[in-house]
Amino acid sequence: MNNIGPIIAAIAIIGVFQLINPTFLRYQGIITLVYAMSYFLIAACGLTFVIMMGSFDFSVLSLLKLAALICVLYIDKFGLLVIPLALSICVGFGFINGLLFAKLKVPSFMATLGISVVVEGISLYLSKGFLHIMNDRTFRSLSVTFIAGIPSIFYWAIGVWMLCTFIAIWTPFGRRIYAVGGNPIGAMLSGINVESNRIYVFMLSGFFAGLAGILYMAQFGGGSIEMGADMTIPLFASVVAGGTALTGGVGGPHRTLLGVIIITWIQAGLLMIGAGRSIQMVIFGLIAIVMGISTIDRRRIKIIK
Amino acid sequence: MKIPNKKKLIPLIIIQTIKIYPVTLFLFALLVIFSSLYPEKFLTPLNLSTILRQFVSLMLFALGPSIVVVTGSLDLSYVGIWMLGGILVWLLMPTLGMFSILVIPLLGLATGFIVGVIQAKAKIPSFILTLSVLVIYCGLTGTISGGISRSVRGYEFITARLIPYIPTALLWTVPIIIAAVFIMKYTKIGIYLYAIGSNEEGARLAGINVDKYKILAFTISGLFTGIGSVIYFQHQGGAVPVVLNLNTMVWPLVAIVLGGTPLTGGSGGPQKTILGALTFTVLCRGLTLSFLDPTMIQLITGLLLIASIVASSRGSKGITVL
Repeated sequence: MNNIGPIIAAIAIIGVFQLINPTFLRYQGIITLVYAMSYFLIAACGLTFVIMMGSFDFSVLSLLKLAALICVLYIDKFGLLVIPLALSICVGFGFINGLLFAKLKVPSFMATLGISVVVEGISLYLSKGFLHIMNDRTFRSLSVTFIAGIPSIFYWAIGVWMLCTFIAIWTPFGRRIYAVGGNPIGAMLSGINVESNRIYVFMLSGFFAGLAGILYMAQFGGGSIEMGADMTIPLFASVVAGGTALTGGVGGPHRTLLGVIIITWIQAGLLMIGAGRSIQMVIFGLIAIVMGISTIDRRRIKIIK
Repeated sequence: MKIPNKKKLIPLIIIQTIKIYPVTLFLFALLVIFSSLYPEKFLTPLNLSTILRQFVSLMLFALGPSIVVVTGSLDLSYVGIWMLGGILVWLLMPTLGMFSILVIPLLGLATGFIVGVIQAKAKIPSFILTLSVLVIYCGLTGTISGGISRSVRGYEFITARLIPYIPTALLWTVPIIIAAVFIMKYTKIGIYLYAIGSNEEGARLAGINVDKYKILAFTISGLFTGIGSVIYFQHQGGAVPVVLNLNTMVWPLVAIVLGGTPLTGGSGGPQKTILGALTFTVLCRGLTLSFLDPTMIQLITGLLLIASIVASSRGSKGITVL
């Protein structure tokens, strides 16, 4: 079920929306989808690693916003150096997340929730609540250069996705993440340094959140504190919808691609039939619950809080 | 056992209080600091009255979740119950008249029950479940309200001024708080909830029907949140916003953790949350009065949340699974 489910769901959703509006898959529609999907996929890949490990990262979206804001606010002062700056800051917060979780034993969702509040506070303080416009052509060309008719951010996303899949499946590091997610105590007993690996994973998640934010800013060209207001649930839903279970140890970035396709397609489709933001929230909340229920590995959970 | 003589009694009581409620020190320190820094602004009746108002708002939302946290789970759906409840009142006003306000506690009750059942039977981690419920309710609120903040008239009697400088909402809240504390400390339900929080497996083996009491915990939490929402609803002027504010969601959690209820459960509860809420309110008020950038408050909130959790998690050993 875990393997076939997402594929069937994806095909079904594409089919349904095609029926409703046959013009959906024209070039313009595809471009819109690509724009919606790409930065989402990058952030979701980072989040996938965390969920694979059995933890949660609420701060992905806040870090995304922070990275985007840092880029737009300091591009005049630092030029393109804002990119490594934003990335390092996000990795730094990821490191703090990991530290709080692995060393200080703060439950991951609480740690990341607290960090996301802090990051939001910083973003608010820096941006003063205003909308900021990105004018730098070079920066924007990161995302909007059209290669073979498709904006470059798409290639970034696919590249990131392939990289993450590679890391997850073919590197020892990836194997270790699966191990920690599947059986933390067993992993520790077989010599895996669970704490360090957890910290690395959160740093990775922070990195991809930052990358997604940078490319997001390059794509949209402007942003304020309000952007991406309630994307946390869709982000989480897309990871789970792809088949990466909350309990950890299964799934991975390769599955997340499917989940992201499903979620962004649903989003686009809902917009198409006129459903507002509010209904989207309802549906994504429901999806999160349903997908959460269906992917949890019952055998391993005796006590769930 | 020797009874300590009268002279030593009061210091003894104080020391005991500090031991049980360590946050009292923090609260006391805050009061002293802010009173000395800004005496003209801080010690006015108006300011103290504002503190009480904010304390009430915070407490109403922190009460329900603090019961759930004792069992070791989390309940993040309180904001959702308030929002959806509010908009349902607006919706049902033409048909049910004044009775439509009752829909809020009912909604809270129903939500708590459903959440509890799903949590106990389907075994989803509670915070993801309640977060999703929150999102769903938010979405429903937006859908019903059409995106505009709606307000309802007719319930002003709930918060009409009775005693100068003391918000009437406080008078309503005090019995609710007492009820919550009573349930947790002096009834079988409360004791079982503490047991489940301390050692769920052990509680199960001791014969406690863990599923039933978890469902009960969520249901009670929903009910309290519902009742609290009624008061808060009118406190806010009979309107609910349609946007989700991260702060509103996080502050009750800060109050709970600051008060000394560990997220793993087993101790603490509403009685400790009272102090946590009071301390946090005083802190916020003091910071607002100071010259710090208002956005700093959010930052400090987040830092405080993390710091409190770290402080209360010190006892955890071994591998944290989540």
